Amino acid sequence: MSAVVGAERPQVVSHVQQALNYTVFECKWVPRSARLLCLGSAARGTGLIQLYELHGARLELLREIEKPKPIKCGTFGATSLQQRYLATGDFDGNLHIWNLEAPEIPVYSVKGHKEIINSIDGVGGLGIGEGAPEIVTGSRDGTVKVWDPRQKDTPVANMEPVQGESKRDCWTVAFGNAYNQEERVVCAGYDNGDIKLFDLKTMSLRWETNIKNGVCSVEFDRKDINMNKLVATSLEGKFHVFDMRTQHPTKGFASVSEKAQKSTIWQVRHLPQNRDVFMTSGGSGSLHLWKYEYPAQRCKKDSEGSEMGVAGSVSLLQNVTLSTQPISSLDWSPDKKGLCVCGAFDQTVRVLIVTKLNKI
Amino acid sequence: MPLWLREHSWRQTLTAVYLSLPLRGARATPANIFCSEQYLKVSIPPFLFEAILYAPIDDTNSTAKIGNGNIFFTLYKKEPAMWDSLTLANADKEKLQYLRENAVLKAHEKAKEETEAKKITKQEHKKYALEATMKVEEAERKRIEDLKEKERQKVAKELELWKNQQKNGDKYKSLQKKGELHQKPEPLKERKSEKIDKTRIPNEGTSKTRLKSTKGHGSCSIFSQNLKEEHLPAPRAAATIKVNFTPRVFPTALRESRVAEEEEWLHKQAEARRIINSDLSELEDLKEEEKNPDWLKDKGNKMFAMGDYLGAVNAYNLAVRLNNKLPLLYLNRAACHLKLRNLHKAIEDSSKALELLTPPVPANENARVKAHVRRGTAFCQLELYTEGLQDYEAALKIDPRNKNIEKDAEKIRHLIQGTMQIS
Repeated sequence: MSAVVGAERPQVVSHVQQALNYTVFECKWVPRSARLLCLGSAARGTGLIQLYELHGARLELLREIEKPKPIKCGTFGATSLQQRYLATGDFDGNLHIWNLEAPEIPVYSVKGHKEIINSIDGVGGLGIGEGAPEIVTGSRDGTVKVWDPRQKDTPVANMEPVQGESKRDCWTVAFGNAYNQEERVVCAGYDNGDIKLFDLKTMSLRWETNIKNGVCSVEFDRKDINMNKLVATSLEGKFHVFDMRTQHPTKGFASVSEKAQKSTIWQVRHLPQNRDVFMTSGGSGSLHLWKYEYPAQRCKKDSEGSEMGVAGSVSLLQNVTLSTQPISSLDWSPDKKGLCVCGAFDQTVRVLIVTKLNKI
Repeated sequence: MPLWLREHSWRQTLTAVYLSLPLRGARATPANIFCSEQYLKVSIPPFLFEAILYAPIDDTNSTAKIGNGNIFFTLYKKEPAMWDSLTLANADKEKLQYLRENAVLKAHEKAKEETEAKKITKQEHKKYALEATMKVEEAERKRIEDLKEKERQKVAKELELWKNQQKNGDKYKSLQKKGELHQKPEPLKERKSEKIDKTRIPNEGTSKTRLKSTKGHGSCSIFSQNLKEEHLPAPRAAATIKVNFTPRVFPTALRESRVAEEEEWLHKQAEARRIINSDLSELEDLKEEEKNPDWLKDKGNKMFAMGDYLGAVNAYNLAVRLNNKLPLLYLNRAACHLKLRNLHKAIEDSSKALELLTPPVPANENARVKAHVRRGTAFCQLELYTEGLQDYEAALKIDPRNKNIEKDAEKIRHLIQGTMQIS
């Protein structure tokens, strides 16, 4: 681990703190604005969507929408910049896409899964990437389904357990490799430590591995480029960074792993403006900012002459403890470098500013 | 009776009295001298000198110098006046006594006061030191807070700036977007959006309010956006990918692995307890407690401890008839048989115990080690050394840290090598 000089290290400054009266599961920035969304579950068992605007040193509540079922996750990934529709997954397995200006009736709705949708991701929207906008959902019923908002009721891809085999909960999903209109992969992490990479162009399983502890969060460093890096975080404080450029026929992808803290690492999010910097949030209420350094040679030949990737190294830039409860969700603002929002189980949402990211 | 020292000499000035007292060979220390306002005493047993002074003196400032077999007192008078004599001449016994006591009391009080004063000054010093450190720390903290505050403000300002930029930049962008969405002529659109503006809570407010002002830009972008729309590929053909999950050596993820096995073991134990082979007619003769296998096991253990091996075996036999699924019964019975040198029976029982002690979990480690050791011992006593060694090695595998087992295993190995050499 290389050391960064003390005075030049990025600092995590807590800008605003807002106490909420419900459990917040996801917080997301509304693209191209200084507004953020909080999704969660109210005490009476209904779902809440709250829209806040950042005004100086406080958050102003603009809109509050209540839905019959608690909402677990949401994404703006599959909508265009002008529409900015929110796709949400709720505790009942329903996938909805909402127009926030007319939230009474969803724009798209499907009962996608039999159990809670744990994680959702969107690709093809927001002016990022090419190809059709698609949404992927991963659920506790062990299936991962890819949806196209133009096709009702049936998913365009379904990754489900073999008939008769017992299922494992899918905890996280992520899109990647969407650099042209045909290519796309979905990465899914399960509670038994399985990570599976599905190729949507060939509709097959491209790679799988097991990291022993349940996978809490996976993310590609960029969705819209040739797969570069994948970070997978797990229980017991470990995360793995896989170098996705070179796939070895038997060994798969090279990885480096780091044990950051004793508690579960709930989320990993890459900085939109610098794909080698990412932040992990932990069960002890702490945030760690990491930087990945590439090795001198990214791939080498092994004994049989087939190409093998070489993993680099990860160094800790900064860490800070904000809360006593796990920080379950984290989102960088795509518009302002260093601005991020995090929501924790102590029912607060915090807007943070990470300084000196230009100097990394 | 003390020896009075009377050969003193003195002289005086207006403010002080100088008294010289020869000591006749005795050695004086400061502890021997006692002085108060009007009373002076030097007591070096067996010598004694005391004087009731003519007038009060200032005893805090007065000094006594000890040296040369002599004590030299410098006493400062309270009131400058010439004394007629050093001591009060007409001092009767009572007055003397009274004065003496007074003096002692006064001295006590003085000592007390002094200690009090000392304490107070000490406390004040401490307080002062504490306050000083607090101030320093406070200053440090403040400095850090200021730094943080400055940083925050700087960042907040940047944020505001960026926000304003966003709003201004959005004007043109949003208009284009609105144009593409509805694909209607501009004026109609504007009216609609204005209406929308008034009725809805403006959460996307900024983009809508700008519509009025910027007209011209919409048209060209409608077309470009249209083209883009057509380029979006059709929805994917639906397909399913079947997945297998990692085959289970342990039923669940790593950290849960042992739980499953442990639970199986506990479950088995629980079941074993519930089995009662109650088809024996002799049971009616037994007392209630004798039908309880646990009680019988305890009885057997006690008898084993006292050396009554046959009795212990009987107890275990009865217990086994009642419940033949408790591994500990077989284990203990094997120990008894070893003592009784019923080696074959010992082997049988240890084997049965091991059978019942599956699945192997940390909970039944001890029992398994004992079973292996006992079986091993029995084998060795039957001179089946190789089998015995196998059992010892199994025991060692479960509990590698047990020195006794290691030693025994070594012994057996030597024996085996010895017999092989002979034969």
